Amino acid sequence: MKIKEMLENIKKEFPYIGTEIQEEKQARIYVCNDKFLNILTYLRNEKFEHLANIFAIDWIDEKEFEINYNLWSYEYLVSIIVKVRIPRDKAKIPTALNIWDHAQIYEREVHEFFGIEFIGNPDLSPLFLHNWKDLPPMRKDFDTEAFSRKAFDVGEREGEK
Amino acid sequence: MLDKIQKDREKRQSAWEAVINYFRKRSLYMLHYCTGCGAIELPPIMTSRWDMERFGIAPMATPRQADILLVTGYASQKTIKRLIYTYEQMPNPKWVLGFGSCTINGGIYWDSYNVINKLDRYIPIDLFISGCMPRPQSILSAMKKLQEMIGKGEAKGYERYKQNYEWYKKNQRKLLERETPFLDGGEK
Repeated sequence: MKIKEMLENIKKEFPYIGTEIQEEKQARIYVCNDKFLNILTYLRNEKFEHLANIFAIDWIDEKEFEINYNLWSYEYLVSIIVKVRIPRDKAKIPTALNIWDHAQIYEREVHEFFGIEFIGNPDLSPLFLHNWKDLPPMRKDFDTEAFSRKAFDVGEREGEK
Repeated sequence: MLDKIQKDREKRQSAWEAVINYFRKRSLYMLHYCTGCGAIELPPIMTSRWDMERFGIAPMATPRQADILLVTGYASQKTIKRLIYTYEQMPNPKWVLGFGSCTINGGIYWDSYNVINKLDRYIPIDLFISGCMPRPQSILSAMKKLQEMIGKGEAKGYERYKQNYEWYKKNQRKLLERETPFLDGGEK
């Protein structure tokens, strides 16, 4: 099955989504917050059974986070990224734990680095960072340079006056 | 009279130290802490291409039996804790080689939230090897330089650590056991 037909089939089922073909083997699906779990369930039943990872993008000017679910099909050898936009302020999104068990660790990581709450995920404790007290470091409003200067006592560097 | 005895003793001791140092510099066991990048530069040093064993330097698997600690590349906040454990487990006398720009000033990770900038603030470093990456030749020249320094009794990083123990501990604690955010508006 060609990727174009595949997306048309999905669009027939869910008329409210946006689709975009990037390459021969790669496509994107844009979907709003409250319906993305239906899409993920549907895709999983349609042989997109591998969730490769979950990652977030901070669109600070648009005041939105974008959560991306990277899916792969062993049957068609096609990758689909499901993109969900949520408001940036006190960001919350339902968990995908009921569809894939291993979403747990990805959500924990995204929570640690962006501060996004995954509703329904039982364990969102810190994973990588050591004793972190500041803003989550991957957010665009976190100033890494100022943090580095303060935390590691750099002072003035050579050539800076 | 007492003065003379004291002086004699110091003289004997320094002569003894010189002899000890002469033997020490030819028998060094190196522990390499390679969580950063650059570990790939070590195999040519250890194997037949440059062969560090002809200078009396050999790799060692445990900190309890090592003399040199080689820290390659960047140390993150999480690895610095393990690095301190490793360093404090090593018996005296011990020396530390800082490998690459990241141990000097953070290198290309100078503004990262997780890579510490000056390793010298947390453990005492006897010799830095600059470069990103340093080539095997420069590592070898650093080892020869370290041997020279040990022979002359100049590499005294472990005594610096003992004398300034409070200062080093203060820096370590500030980073690892902090209770408040470093920047305003912290706490997610």
